[in-house]
Amino acid sequence: MAGILDFAPAIVLLPFLSFLIALGAGRYMPKGGALAGIGATAGSFVLSIATFFAVSGGQTYNQHIYTWATGAGDAVSLDFGLLIDPLSSMMLVIVTLVAVLVHIFSLGYMNDEGETGLPRYYAGLGLFTASMLAFVVSSNLLMAFMFFELVGLCSYLLIGFWFRQQGPPSAAKKAFLVTRFGDYFFLIGVVAVFATFGSAAFAGPEAFPVLAEEALHGEHAVNTFLGMGEQAWFTVVGLLVLGGVVGKSAQFPLHTWLPDAMEGPTPVSALIHAATMVAAGVYLVARMYGFYALTPTTLGIIALVGGFTALFAATMGVVKKEIKQVLAYSTISQYGYMMLGLGVGGYVASTFHLLTHAFFKALLFLGAGAVIIAMHHNENMWDMGGLKEKMPVTYYAFLSGSLALAGIVPFAGFWSKDEILYEALNHGLGTDGGLGTVFLIAYAMGLIAVFFTGFYTFRMVFLTFHGEPRSETARDPHGFGWNVKFPLAVLGVLAAVTGLVNMAPVEDLTGIHLTFLHDWLDGGISSLTAHHYLEVLESGVGAGLHPAGIGSIAPGLVSLALALAGAGLAYRLYNVPEPVEHTDKLGSIKTVLYNNYYQDEYQVWIATGVVQPISRALDKFDQGIVDGVVNGVSSVSLFAGGRVKRIQTGVVSNYAALLTLGLTALLLGLGLLGGWFA
Amino acid sequence: MTPLQSTPEWVATAPAIVLALTGLALLLIDTIDPDSTNNGLLAGTATLGALAAGGIAGWFLIGGTGMESTGGAISLYGDALVVDGMSLFFTLIFTSVAAMVSVASYDYLADQRYQGEFYALVLFAATGMTLMGMSNSLATVFVSLELASLPSYALVAFLKEDRGSIEAGLKYFLIGALSSAVFAFGISLVFAVTGSLVLPEIAASLAEGTELVGVLGLGVLMIAGGFAFKTASVPFHFWAPEAYEGAPAPVSAFLSSASKAAGFVVAFRVFTVAFPLGTVTSIGGGSVDWSLLFALLAVVTMTLGNFAAATQQNVKRMLAYSSIGHAGYALIGLAAITVDGGAANGDVLGASMAHLFVYGFMNTGAFLFIAMVEKWGLGRTFEDYNGIASKAPIAAAAMTVFMFSLAGLPPFGGFFSKYALFFSAIESGFWWLAAVGAVNSALSLFYYSRVVKAMWIEEPSANLEIGSQPVGMYVAIVFAAVGTVLLLPGSQPVIETAQTVAAALF
Repeated sequence: MAGILDFAPAIVLLPFLSFLIALGAGRYMPKGGALAGIGATAGSFVLSIATFFAVSGGQTYNQHIYTWATGAGDAVSLDFGLLIDPLSSMMLVIVTLVAVLVHIFSLGYMNDEGETGLPRYYAGLGLFTASMLAFVVSSNLLMAFMFFELVGLCSYLLIGFWFRQQGPPSAAKKAFLVTRFGDYFFLIGVVAVFATFGSAAFAGPEAFPVLAEEALHGEHAVNTFLGMGEQAWFTVVGLLVLGGVVGKSAQFPLHTWLPDAMEGPTPVSALIHAATMVAAGVYLVARMYGFYALTPTTLGIIALVGGFTALFAATMGVVKKEIKQVLAYSTISQYGYMMLGLGVGGYVASTFHLLTHAFFKALLFLGAGAVIIAMHHNENMWDMGGLKEKMPVTYYAFLSGSLALAGIVPFAGFWSKDEILYEALNHGLGTDGGLGTVFLIAYAMGLIAVFFTGFYTFRMVFLTFHGEPRSETARDPHGFGWNVKFPLAVLGVLAAVTGLVNMAPVEDLTGIHLTFLHDWLDGGISSLTAHHYLEVLESGVGAGLHPAGIGSIAPGLVSLALALAGAGLAYRLYNVPEPVEHTDKLGSIKTVLYNNYYQDEYQVWIATGVVQPISRALDKFDQGIVDGVVNGVSSVSLFAGGRVKRIQTGVVSNYAALLTLGLTALLLGLGLLGGWFA
Repeated sequence: MTPLQSTPEWVATAPAIVLALTGLALLLIDTIDPDSTNNGLLAGTATLGALAAGGIAGWFLIGGTGMESTGGAISLYGDALVVDGMSLFFTLIFTSVAAMVSVASYDYLADQRYQGEFYALVLFAATGMTLMGMSNSLATVFVSLELASLPSYALVAFLKEDRGSIEAGLKYFLIGALSSAVFAFGISLVFAVTGSLVLPEIAASLAEGTELVGVLGLGVLMIAGGFAFKTASVPFHFWAPEAYEGAPAPVSAFLSSASKAAGFVVAFRVFTVAFPLGTVTSIGGGSVDWSLLFALLAVVTMTLGNFAAATQQNVKRMLAYSSIGHAGYALIGLAAITVDGGAANGDVLGASMAHLFVYGFMNTGAFLFIAMVEKWGLGRTFEDYNGIASKAPIAAAAMTVFMFSLAGLPPFGGFFSKYALFFSAIESGFWWLAAVGAVNSALSLFYYSRVVKAMWIEEPSANLEIGSQPVGMYVAIVFAAVGTVLLLPGSQPVIETAQTVAAALF
């Protein structure tokens, strides 16, 4: 077990080092610490690639690093550790690659645009990357939680980077508070996992998913609470952890922070959406999938939340005017697909979509960033148009990302999204009872969302790049250098070809073995393989899923047709020299969509109408009773202290008298007790 | 292998001999050149002597001299002295405090006359304290206690031009004389009952029983009074606030850390060796329950010390009262001893010793910081400390370490020792004593943090000026601060050593 995996901690530590450098010495360095960040993340990327190859050679790494607390009698120990298996090594590559490209892109977006506060920016990026990497390699749920929180903190710092303007601080606060609301449940979930299993390890001899499985088999007992049976209690624990996931991955109803988070610098949005913050939620479910696979209720809820979010966010994306807003809703929608996939038992499919989405969404955000540079930071698509001729590299890269997002064959997003939908249909038809119906409903929502995705994606492409320029800036866009074009080119290629690693429909069609990602995720630690998850899912103690055994070609064609229909409609409406807003035709629906289904309004109402009165009451209690007691104790103490001080008169004969009296009192007391005077 | 296998047994008292010889050497230097102001030579000699004595004690401690691994305690001069782990452990405290005080005095005494006498008195007092740790007979206890006390009186009154110093010295001396009288009377009563002054022989005599339980009880109580004077415990504490406030600040540091520890080491030995609790609690139809006595004193002392400290306006006086409060914590070591405690007795006594060890660093450092403030000519109240951190950040950071460590906050040494003390008290069944201690600690955080707040948060007054940067004081303060911080990661060996040497007493 020696070799390259022993360097795994360096993958995390390098970006952390760049954080320290940027923070401490960034202002003395050229480019405000950017070069340190690029160097560190590039180093991490190289190490991640090496790790990736080591893992593909069959190695894994589950190493305990440091125990920072042990409970009484060693009942519980809180550890830091590294877990490197196929899933985490794949995620390492994604995160480090996107981080390098975002750093390079930032040279163009931040440095060349003359932003101030660059050391703070690069320090934030470094810490953000380091936290996410540490989260990815966490060997237990508590460590994952800690870095999950750190990821949240970094996104707060970076979204609010332009803290002197009005919007960003408010958006940062919102992102922080909304995700914190979910993380509150996650924290209770972590405690519940410890209380139930006495361990929160993902793998190894005390892995809690394995313990849970054995408990359901009746092999040994675990602690359950509130008088629940094991199955019911595991569902509760799973849902508690899911609270954090819903917040971070911006799933309904905690998705409201994400569109506002567009106030941050665009490279940060790319990092948040593609590889770090939002990906963390879905990754967590994948990481502990062995546990979720045991509770059908949780899976059903995940599938429904995912399917609903996919559709719901896609409809809102249809009417947005700002290019980044469209992308924000597309992110929510795409993570909805991943949740849908995880819910219906498509572990590999979801992980696949996580991979492809990371590349094409990073590409789209960086492309949008390039457009924004060109448009002098005007994000309104109705002021753009005709940029295709002016910025061809951006256009073709963006087009590649858009085709992937819309799910057009053979771009990356098609393969992964199609596989999710196929799994949903396959398991929905095959599984008996309510769970199958739930899967079919989720599938239907996901399928309809495909149409909307195709539509809003190409509406965005046509409005931005096609037609006649609709403003002065669009006629004469701002130029930019290689540091913008290079990341776009790399990601453009990846968005086109990543899907080829797992072409399930083509395998069905031709019989050639093409599902390499399946093989990849089947390797490594035995309790963390896709194969094992499938066994659990289909077993009696697990969710009891059954595939219907349908072919993957027909469902693929259906979703492709819907995506093309959406894109075609966008072509009809918007690929004209002088496009006009068609939203008025929607009537009152338009108002609802513009207001994002009044999600913000009802959450504000919850905050002011429900939470605030409770807080006031608690504040009263705190001010009146708790503080009253504390203040009372302190004034009594000070009063008593003042009295004690008076004994010290300064007259030495008083001291001698008091001393003698004290001794006499002691003599009398002890003497009477001890029978000295008998 | 003991370092002393082929050497005569009296070599085991080497730390005391080195200290005494250094004191004499200082007098010699001063005699050769009475008007010398070569402060560096004097301070250097004193520091070296203290460090050498401490080094020898440490070497013995590691080598196992006087401990079970090399054949048990070394008894000398007809059992009048005994060298064992506990005496060496405390010698380490005395010498490190003496060294820090000597280094800091280099700056504090720069303009004073009679410097040679000052250092000699410090070393003679340290010799007395070291002998207190080794005393195995009530006669040597008394003599060594006086050897420690008499130089202390002179040291408190050292600033002959300063009325406060003179007054403090006189009060200290008067209360000391009264306490010594009480103590000597107690010794005579115990001798009357048992017919011996040697501690193990007293125990042996008591084991045979006696009819004179009242006389014995009075004697034990009066002996406890003598120790209460030395440790500044209620009701013999009255001298402490005045003496610590009036004395030169390095002397306050020396008295409140080393002298207090000396009182405790001798109390630990006398009560555990001469008056085993199992024997004296059921003797002659009565009971002399000194554990109850110390429990009572511990509660009253820590409560009084902390409550009075909370209302002080003068930082030095606040520290004086806090020092009384810490005596209360250390008394838990004796209070929580039980008849059938077994290993738990050694644990709680060792925890108390460890607390005194940490206290030696953090309290000395705090008083030396006061000495530096006095040197700068700033006032003595909390307001006068406003904004010191803006002028002297390193010293203020060290003071912050001392304050938080005294309050028992992690990550400093004071946290571990207080934790170990309260924890082992609970293990011995004295949870209420630990609870009182915890409440008092919480209160103490209030007044300790006032100093920190004044230094870091309050705005400095417009004319805040600090003069020189006294090197010696900085060295001593930083050394004490580093010691205080390192004692948290280094807590394991300290507590283990302390509990091992404490267990040897039972």
